[in-house]
Amino acid sequence: MSWRLLVIVVLGLVLLGLLGWLLTGGGASRQAPREEATGAGPVPTPSPAPHQQVVLLFTGTDGQLHPELRAVPLPQELEARVRVVLGELLKGPTAGLLPVVPYAAELNAVYTDGNGNAFVDLTAPPKPLTGSNTELILAYGVVDSVLLNCPELHAVQLLFGGREVQTLTGHLDLSRPLVLNKGFIGA
Amino acid sequence: MIGAIALSSLRRRFLVLGALLALLGTGWGLAQDVGPGAGVEFRFAGRSVVVPRIGSRLEILPVLSLLGAEAGYSPAAQTYGVTLGDDFIQFALDRRFILVNGKLDEVPDAPTASPAGVAASVQFLERGLLGPLGYHLEAITGGYRIMPGARFAEPVAVRPAAADFGATTTLVLTLDRSVETAVTDGDGTEPTIHFSDASPRLDSTLTFQSRRVQRLLTQGHDLKVELPEGVGLLSWHLLDDPPRVILELGRRRPTPVPEAVNIAERSGPPPIVIDPGHGGDDTGAVAADGLMEKNLVLDIARRLERRLTTLGYPVRLTRTGDDSRALSDRTALANRLQARVFVSLHANASTVAAVRGAETYYMSLDSSSTDAHAAATADLENQPAQAGSTSSSLDLILWDLAQAEVLNESSRLALDTQKRLNERLGLRDRGVKQAPFVVLTGATMPAILVEVGFLSNPEEARRLAGADYRDRLAEAIAGGIDDFVRSQ
Repeated sequence: MSWRLLVIVVLGLVLLGLLGWLLTGGGASRQAPREEATGAGPVPTPSPAPHQQVVLLFTGTDGQLHPELRAVPLPQELEARVRVVLGELLKGPTAGLLPVVPYAAELNAVYTDGNGNAFVDLTAPPKPLTGSNTELILAYGVVDSVLLNCPELHAVQLLFGGREVQTLTGHLDLSRPLVLNKGFIGA
Repeated sequence: MIGAIALSSLRRRFLVLGALLALLGTGWGLAQDVGPGAGVEFRFAGRSVVVPRIGSRLEILPVLSLLGAEAGYSPAAQTYGVTLGDDFIQFALDRRFILVNGKLDEVPDAPTASPAGVAASVQFLERGLLGPLGYHLEAITGGYRIMPGARFAEPVAVRPAAADFGATTTLVLTLDRSVETAVTDGDGTEPTIHFSDASPRLDSTLTFQSRRVQRLLTQGHDLKVELPEGVGLLSWHLLDDPPRVILELGRRRPTPVPEAVNIAERSGPPPIVIDPGHGGDDTGAVAADGLMEKNLVLDIARRLERRLTTLGYPVRLTRTGDDSRALSDRTALANRLQARVFVSLHANASTVAAVRGAETYYMSLDSSSTDAHAAATADLENQPAQAGSTSSSLDLILWDLAQAEVLNESSRLALDTQKRLNERLGLRDRGVKQAPFVVLTGATMPAILVEVGFLSNPEEARRLAGADYRDRLAEAIAGGIDDFVRSQ
């Protein structure tokens, strides 16, 4: 008798479980994300950003900008992508070209405003820079590199040491975002 | 009833869709003749290859092989390289830029990975690869024939707008993309805009009225502007962002009067304002031997003043000593004096010591000069502001048109000056460029910034230190200004 009772109890539990599963919407698939979100299951490791080509602009011996292609893990998120591009730019060229930022600059911050503008904050130059060529190559090396790799952006404003500057060497207007200018990219 | 309307609407949509597909089919036979998954044939020099279609893309590497090009993948660089003759093209998967012989170019869409290597649109294949290699595609039934020669002319949309002023009309043709453009005068009554690798398509939804433009006609790569009797093309200019062709139309100028009469007739003409850059604590660039930009350009400005005075022009300098001047004050002085032209003098510096040569800049409209701020700034400089006055959209449009005219004139002044510098000094031509320089912002007259040479280049710095070389610089710049003024 006892084994029959056991079978009935087990069947009853199975039926109750099935009923409960149906009443809750049958959702192993619906429950799964909740379990993941609460950390009940194993936490999946975020997949690394896929390697993609970026085009970076560096200074040539003719005092103009020249492109270098580089494969880097490029995230989808816009500000993260700008950081990756600028991180690579600030590392400098691999061969044949020269940096566009003529001092050991670091990237302090990147902001975007949702209207196609990015704001890039670099550490300020340790001593005053001179020459419009120095200023143009720095500004458009950064601005064009960002815009070529982030087509959803329209313009980039450079900040230095967390502050907006009117100009860096007394020529270029840096008080507003700059748009893509290919006039300084050499042939 | 609602159902009937919905059904009718649905049917209408299918009819429109069908008509569109039929239209596409007549223009692009391939889309109709080849079904999804079927191959697309490419023919070249008596041979052919059929490549698989992957969605809206095609396997492109076999097409390049057909052409005789070598295509290879570099795992280290993660780029594909295509070599044909002396040409080398690099591209990467999922990226919209390519390098053609080291020069950066953008393409309409990006190639992707495919079973055989690379899948890309026909547009990418032609615009990014075949075009730079000197070929274009001709549609045939079931595929394409690769033809040598000029590239397929992609359409460029042209939106016309015109504004009539007293004696002139400004015709603004806004393009939906950048294309190589040239304007010819024709016989004087029919200016023609030629688009090198594009065929113009006029935006027919826009109409405009102008008493100096009869109509616009497209013909192949050309856009012709028909003008009434006596009206001709006075000048033209190209602007970026958005790309625009600006034509200045009006009565044809009479033959220039002789020089002596021309100068004699100038009664109280507006001055030419020369701006020696930097000054005071702001030394500007400094050469290895200590020569400071602020002193160099002040000396050249004085020499330039003497030359221009000799030619009969009144001249004002923004500073006559080693003084500090705010950049905006320099432009404001020129605006207040209603100067004929404004020339800012500078000496350059680069992180690359080998860089040398003179270059001339004029303002670009890419960041600041078209906005309300610049308009308001110039307005304040020219006349006292009216209490409670605001800039309307019309004001800004007029400001934009006025700025387009100023830019047009500035580009001519820059070209005249750079030409004289190249001729007189035998310098490497670094050309005329555009940039949003602070000192040129808000200028209401033709305005340029001249970089006379690089103090960071030891040899050029030595030349700039000499009085004779400075005299030649002043002579060249004065000649450029004089050429410009005489041509007005």
